[in-house]
Amino acid sequence: MNALEVTALTSGYGTSTVLRNVSLTVPAGEVVAVMGRNGAGKTTLLRSLIGLLPHEGSVVLNGTEVSELKGHQISQRGMVWVPQDDSVFPGLTVKEHLSIAARDEDSGATSAIEMFPILQERLTQQAQTLSGGEKKMLSIAQALISRPSLILMDEPTEGIAPVVVSELMLAIEAAANKAAVLLVEQNIDVAVALSTHGYVLEHGSFVEEGAMQELHESGRLEERLAI
Amino acid sequence: MSIAAVIPIDSFNVVVLIAVFVLISLGLHFTFGLLNIVNLAHGEILLIGAYTAFQVQEWTGSVLLGMVFAPIVAAAVGLVIDRGVLRFLYERPLDTLLATFGISVVIRQGIQLRYSANPRTVQDPIGGSFELAGLNFPWWRVIIVVATIALVFGVRALLDHTRFGLHARATIANPDLAETVRINADGMRTGLFVIGAALGGLAGALIAPINTLNPSFGVLFLVNSFLVVIIGGKGTLRGLVTAAVILGGSLAVLQFVVSTVIAQILVLVIAIVGVRIRPIMVEALEAR
Repeated sequence: MNALEVTALTSGYGTSTVLRNVSLTVPAGEVVAVMGRNGAGKTTLLRSLIGLLPHEGSVVLNGTEVSELKGHQISQRGMVWVPQDDSVFPGLTVKEHLSIAARDEDSGATSAIEMFPILQERLTQQAQTLSGGEKKMLSIAQALISRPSLILMDEPTEGIAPVVVSELMLAIEAAANKAAVLLVEQNIDVAVALSTHGYVLEHGSFVEEGAMQELHESGRLEERLAI
Repeated sequence: MSIAAVIPIDSFNVVVLIAVFVLISLGLHFTFGLLNIVNLAHGEILLIGAYTAFQVQEWTGSVLLGMVFAPIVAAAVGLVIDRGVLRFLYERPLDTLLATFGISVVIRQGIQLRYSANPRTVQDPIGGSFELAGLNFPWWRVIIVVATIALVFGVRALLDHTRFGLHARATIANPDLAETVRINADGMRTGLFVIGAALGGLAGALIAPINTLNPSFGVLFLVNSFLVVIIGGKGTLRGLVTAAVILGGSLAVLQFVVSTVIAQILVLVIAIVGVRIRPIMVEALEAR
């Protein structure tokens, strides 16, 4: 069964169309990567899927059409989002973030600390004062403790120190054991290491699709993403 | 020597005026301070509360019953305003100024049509007073002060110690992100606006017995409530109370010395100075 099936998705901002007729599939329990240069429409794709942008086309989550639903209704059905920027609520503590995400009152902090022990020391700290890597950890922990069926990750390793990237990659691998992941990534090494299938987005349309290893070995990924 | 000999007999009124400043600003704390809606209809929400108390008094003879109905009626009006108009303007805060100005005119004129511009009186629900240490304390004014303190603690508890408050703070901080963690951001904003309206209605009803009602009643309080929220800092309850103490206290004390009009002008001067120096003071406090 597919966790996500997107058919003929068209989306944008106001009168400006960014994505045109995009279709993709994320099988349950797999990591699928979407790659593309800056401005290709990667974040627009994720914002459309999670219900934050109006769009045309079909979005089916675990067999249910969700394209007419609002963001909170889609997230209640198991799709969660790890944003690239603005991933925390200013003014809320780390513990409060985990409390919001947890499906039951007690499970939040404990599960998150098992994943990222550093969060134990940060529980009472305002989340906006965390480092970039810690914010990503918090965001991934939030996503996982909400027991999702599909996680949308928007460039989770972008701007993060190399030593933290490996820790985040382990966390994403762990996440993939619990839910399907749609990973938006510019870093080819990270995408190849984590995902089984890949799409390349250019000017709002997919121009490459296939098994990630095959895309990588053919050199088409490097060619498409070269600056 | 009694306290009355060293403290002016009207000193309790300073406390009452500070309480009134807090009371009239609590609703605006939600609608403007938290939701960023420049709610020029806040004065008319107070007006609805006050006239509800008056109407229920006319129908039943019970002002206290009016105090119960005032926040309910104001909340219902707030719900209609939010769902009918403001939800389309959440992302356009400046447009809310024009929209709520129009709503305020409609409400004010509607009340004038129904009740005329003649002054109306809401009876003191309890009446009487008591003496303590040589000072006179009218019961209703004591109740206003006590109710204000209870409401401040209630609002604090609601926002800081409940799941609703947590979701509300998340929504205010980042509505899009809130939606993606299963929070109905639209619903939360409506809830906050309705609570703000209910608090405004209750405030109008509570202060009605110590004022004379007319359709311009709300306008008198609108400016002061905005001053309190702006000087105190949007979204901070502690700041709101501090600003109410400074502005309400200044107005009450100045009224002993100069005329009410001059006192209000001086309070505006204090507010302007407050707006100017507030960022410097906040910066200094944060640096400590």
